[in-house]
Amino acid sequence: MTWVAWRLQRTETLITLGILALLAALLVPTGINMANAYHHLGLSSCTGIEQGSACGQKIGDFQMRFESLTHLTDWFTLVPGVIGVLLAAPFIFDLEHGTYRLAWTQSITRRRWLASKLSLPIAAAVVAAGVMILLITWWRTPDIRLDGRLGNGTYDAVGTVAIGYTLFALGLALALGAVWRRAAASITVAFVGYFAVRIFVDTYLRDHLVAPLKATFKGNPPARLNHAEILSQTVLGHPHVHLQGPVGAGSQIAAPKGATPTVFQAVYQPASHFWPLQLTETGLFVGLAVLLIAFAAWWTHERTV
Amino acid sequence: MSEQAAVRTDGLGKRYGSTWALRDCTLEIPAGSVTALVGPNGAGKTTLLHLLIGLGKPSAGRVEVLGLSPRRDAAVLLPRLSFVAQDHPLYRGLSIADTLKLARKLNPSWDEERAQARIERLGLDPHRKVSKLSGGQQAQVALTLALSKEPELLLLDEPVASLDPLARREFLGAVLEAVADTQMTVVISSHIVSELERVCDHLITLVDSRAQLAGSIAEIVASHRLLTGPRSDAASVARVHQVIRESHTERQTTLLVRANGHVYDSCWEQHEVDLEEIVLAYLGYRPGANRWEAGAEEVVPV
Repeated sequence: MTWVAWRLQRTETLITLGILALLAALLVPTGINMANAYHHLGLSSCTGIEQGSACGQKIGDFQMRFESLTHLTDWFTLVPGVIGVLLAAPFIFDLEHGTYRLAWTQSITRRRWLASKLSLPIAAAVVAAGVMILLITWWRTPDIRLDGRLGNGTYDAVGTVAIGYTLFALGLALALGAVWRRAAASITVAFVGYFAVRIFVDTYLRDHLVAPLKATFKGNPPARLNHAEILSQTVLGHPHVHLQGPVGAGSQIAAPKGATPTVFQAVYQPASHFWPLQLTETGLFVGLAVLLIAFAAWWTHERTV
Repeated sequence: MSEQAAVRTDGLGKRYGSTWALRDCTLEIPAGSVTALVGPNGAGKTTLLHLLIGLGKPSAGRVEVLGLSPRRDAAVLLPRLSFVAQDHPLYRGLSIADTLKLARKLNPSWDEERAQARIERLGLDPHRKVSKLSGGQQAQVALTLALSKEPELLLLDEPVASLDPLARREFLGAVLEAVADTQMTVVISSHIVSELERVCDHLITLVDSRAQLAGSIAEIVASHRLLTGPRSDAASVARVHQVIRESHTERQTTLLVRANGHVYDSCWEQHEVDLEEIVLAYLGYRPGANRWEAGAEEVVPV
């Protein structure tokens, strides 16, 4: 049965490999380029929060130079969704084309067929997501040293959440496909659903997964704000006026006229919250994926004739 | 029925939502027979076969295949059954060789030599993709899979409905050849009788889920007569024989009867009647209706 499941999923697996190869073709040369620039500029001495103006200039140069590339890779957050729904296709095709009637009337039980048919795309999804995470983590190393891992675009692609995202997209497409039995439609709707859930988690839910911290300081920000994700920044006594721009003194220009912005208050996720956040969010998406895949298996086992 | 039954159903029913696709179906299929399961579209043939192979779960009644329950005993029963679903589904992206390999991997009892010999005899290149084959060739490949599993019971659901006349002939010829030297029981569902007569020795008509006419074809043909005589009431004949269909013109009455012994009444002229006409009479017969009614669409969710 393993050969059968593999043979029927070969095309989708090869497309997944193709996507990863494309990513590598883009990321490996530019990543080497970026690492070289990082060393030439001597940016390794600029990773603290209190940097001299020379550091600021160098970081600015570096970030300007690779800005468009970094923005491009922010889009890679969609790749887990693409790979997930793609790997669901063979399962749905079997239902759409009626070939499950051929498979289920050979000598193996429906239960075994489901086990093989589902475990293979799950394994492929985890491996593909893992490879993508390693690739992007390596590529973003300079960026991570300068800005930490909590920024948008970095947080999504490093750590473990991308595995959860991929499995969730797979599960959503499988569950829709089990009921709908239309591959193209199920995959399209699953991808839209994946995107919607990601937006909801990114913009709202993530800040509530692990309680953020509060810091009050005068003048320059303290070291614990280094590599932190600042959720909001206010001036003490003016809690409704949110400041934009860099943390602390640098954002004074945005302070309300007439105020004397001396004491800042920041709500933030410190760098140490990276793993608690990652693991909670991964658990959430993996949990959803397990529910969706179990539903797809149950529905197919019980409701499909 | 004296023979041992390969299939036995008792009050079997299957419901999809609020619609009964099969209801209160009681029948027996003798072991070793080649049985034609004939009925109009919507009679529940496909649903019945799905319940026999375990694709569907009965909503009511009982079903026994080779003495076992298709759903509960699937692991031991499936290797002993073969099924070719309507439109003989195959993986279109696979080559014939890969299709055979797939079946070999999925069936512990698999006669590889026989499978390859059949493909060769059909003149098919094993490296051709299934999607490049004609409908008749695809049906033959599906039949090859079913036969190479060496089943005790082979179920064919409308195997020739989508084929052209030549492909029909070839397909049924292949079934006939395969059956000739085995003890295999075969059930072929169809809404057409003409081609099946050559292959089958038993027949069951399924109308509104009910097995109306069941038995050996030779016995069925021998016991039915067409009576023609001057226009009259069928009542006197109906007292002794079972009148299946009556039709009247201004001067003449024609009766199709299942004769209970000889018909002695000399005012009736007796004719032999062929199987197709007998079956059509059973399929079309509705009390109080002179015209045959077209069946409803078959209720099988896709």
